[in-house]
Amino acid sequence: MKEISKWISHFPLELVFWTASILAILLLDPTHDQHLSLCPLSQLGFDWCPGCGLGRAMNLLAHGDFESSWALHPLAPLAYVVISARMWQLIKNLKTTHNYG
Amino acid sequence: MANVLRHLPELEGMELGYIQGLMKNMDEDQASLFAQVYRARRKDSQMILILTLLGFFGFAGLHRFILGQVGLGILYILTLGLCFIGTIVDLVNYKSLAYEYNIKVAHETINMLNMTYPGEVNPPSTGTTV
Repeated sequence: MKEISKWISHFPLELVFWTASILAILLLDPTHDQHLSLCPLSQLGFDWCPGCGLGRAMNLLAHGDFESSWALHPLAPLAYVVISARMWQLIKNLKTTHNYG
Repeated sequence: MANVLRHLPELEGMELGYIQGLMKNMDEDQASLFAQVYRARRKDSQMILILTLLGFFGFAGLHRFILGQVGLGILYILTLGLCFIGTIVDLVNYKSLAYEYNIKVAHETINMLNMTYPGEVNPPSTGTTV
């Protein structure tokens, strides 16, 4: 039991989350008309929110399609920079703060 | 060797162990000075939890701003907390977010006290540095 709780408290949940979200972004297909949307707002019937299209814009940017990426959402490069900086920070934390004592 | 519970009784869990490790080489005076400054600067994990919960009412990402991660804060606000998924993950993860920030602040505090009062607070001789 103690082993399990120790493993859970040391599990890098946030790092796994960011990695999985980047993978999901890279694997999705932005050309579908009716794309599968996890967004609870769009499932409630709202047509627009400030983040609409960010995922698809990031996918297009990864494939080098700068123009349509900018048209979908101009902040896709910022999202890449911020998320990769955060992942780098989390990996650094794994090596320092979580192994103390 | 100063006892962390005497100076900072509100700490718990991993943070308690880490700060005890930092306090290993301090005497009582150094420890109480460190505790005063550190208490004023650390963020309570409950405040992080409450700010994260505000994400469900349209104000997502406030906790990321408070923790100094401005880029992620902007990303959370613009996407309503990554379509609520980011908010839910941080809801599970709020303790490690606060822990990470507080460890950073503790090291900054020690460095600052070393600069202002040289030789008064010694950094741990055998410890990892951040």
